[in-house]
Amino acid sequence: MNLAKTIRSKQNGADAERNAKMEAEIGQILATEEKLIPSSGFMAAVMERVRQEAALPPPIPFPWTWAVLGILLVGGVFGWGAFEIFRLGGFAVSLPTLSSLAIYLPRIPAAFVAPVESAGWVVLALSVSLLCWLFSRRLAGSGGLL
Amino acid sequence: MNSTTSAEEDLTAVEQVLGGDAEAFEGIVRRWQGPLINMAWRYCRDRSRAEEMAQEAFIRAWRGLSHWRHESSFSTWLFALAANVYRSELKRFPTETLPLDSAREPSGPASQQRELEEGRRQEAIRRAVLALPLRYREPVILYYFHEMDLAAAAATMSLPEGTMKARLSRARALLRRRFPGLEEEGASHPSRKNKDAARVGHPDFFNDEHAQETGKEAAN
Repeated sequence: MNLAKTIRSKQNGADAERNAKMEAEIGQILATEEKLIPSSGFMAAVMERVRQEAALPPPIPFPWTWAVLGILLVGGVFGWGAFEIFRLGGFAVSLPTLSSLAIYLPRIPAAFVAPVESAGWVVLALSVSLLCWLFSRRLAGSGGLL
Repeated sequence: MNSTTSAEEDLTAVEQVLGGDAEAFEGIVRRWQGPLINMAWRYCRDRSRAEEMAQEAFIRAWRGLSHWRHESSFSTWLFALAANVYRSELKRFPTETLPLDSAREPSGPASQQRELEEGRRQEAIRRAVLALPLRYREPVILYYFHEMDLAAAAATMSLPEGTMKARLSRARALLRRRFPGLEEEGASHPSRKNKDAARVGHPDFFNDEHAQETGKEAAN
């Protein structure tokens, strides 16, 4: 029993030693890599590209302020649109929260509703278009394109 | 070159470049072209591609120079950036190279066969590194590129040294198991070694071992 144990431990030790030796050899081979010398035109090629990049106009910075305003505006428009769909689509009747909300909304005479609503949409569409135009002009102007 | 002097020169060059002097970047390229090309070579073992990748790394460094926060040395930042560039380049276009230019001239007719065998065997082991799974390949490449400086290799990969050490150990074990005839030297098992060398480029070369090793590392 003890003899078998001794033989096994000796064998394990020999295996471990053999593995370490092999790994050391692999390490030695990987460590002794020949060094490449850069080709003569390498630095010139890199500097040529650097000069090209330096000659380009600086990239247009992303206009976060305007983007946030735009997102808020678009969100507002969609939100309003969704509210209108709910209101006109008869969901208000089935939804107690909306019907209770209707108590607080001003009551507009029925004869006024249709033309005022249409005019409201037209004004909104025109405002959004105007804002888009102003926004794009501003972007182009800050990028030096105008 | 003295490393302190080099660091100072790098810092000065970076400040000049950020101040608008594009030509100051030439100093950085001159100092680091060799290391970056050699690092790229270890990633792809193709000379022309290594230069292309190193060029791309320099351009990315030029563009991102203002992002260097001085938390680490310029060289650490540059090597980490280059490693990212090389990794993504090789993901986009994986490489399968034939190292023809690595074959050396035989020194005499008698030793010709042995030298060729030895050269082929060493190249097979170096190419086998490229066939390792990525998580083990990069630690090996960077550890030996940094002349066995574990801390530098770990910094380049932004990994803790312990993880780096564990991956290196697994990588060595994978390589050892794939080259069982390594210890007995070339003469005894030339056919086995040629077989190993031929299999190195195969996509499944390490797959079965990798599955076992990944399981072991996850268990640790």
